[in-house]
Amino acid sequence: MGKRSGRISNRIRQLRSRCGELTQQELADRIGVTRQTVNAMEGDKYSPSLEVAFRIARVFKVSVDNVFQYHENT
Amino acid sequence: MFSFREKSLWLMFVSLVAVFAFYFATVLPSNAAHVEPSHVALFTLAVGMLVIIAVLGHIVIAIANPRTATDERDRLIGLEGKRNGSYVMVAGVCLALCASLFDTSTFVLTHVLLGFWVLAQLVEIGSQLILLRQGA
Repeated sequence: MGKRSGRISNRIRQLRSRCGELTQQELADRIGVTRQTVNAMEGDKYSPSLEVAFRIARVFKVSVDNVFQYHENT
Repeated sequence: MFSFREKSLWLMFVSLVAVFAFYFATVLPSNAAHVEPSHVALFTLAVGMLVIIAVLGHIVIAIANPRTATDERDRLIGLEGKRNGSYVMVAGVCLALCASLFDTSTFVLTHVLLGFWVLAQLVEIGSQLILLRQGA
């Protein structure tokens, strides 16, 4: 069985603008990470832990799969 | 703009290079058979300088840039750095063991181990700096 690989993207930037231009620092403070981590997530360079993913979804009052999408490589 | 963590890592990287470049440049030309009291004294001085530079440097950095809390990404980057550094350290231990088979002097064994420990630290810190800059 071959190893599957994929890419995780997210809509954090769009959700921040929808929430009245919530800044990266404000979001970072609310989910307990640094501003640099929020920036890395928005640039699709870092995928957070499940716990942080749930905290982000809770801040925006949406489900996790509304924030993060998994794209499997074919 | 550099964060507190990046400035702290740069401080440690530069001070390690400066202090141990001075130490090795002074000690290696002596090419002694065994570690001598003067080498131990110089090593103690080097470690003392490193501690003083680290403490004073961190005070200056903290004044200019308040320390921020670390999170899961920082911990992962730290672990990645430690992993890369451990490869260098393992290579150094193997090389030191091989060297001890051919040369029984404590001078060679000690300095191969010390050299690779410094290199492992530089790789660990350098990896973290690269990962932080890449936004990984």
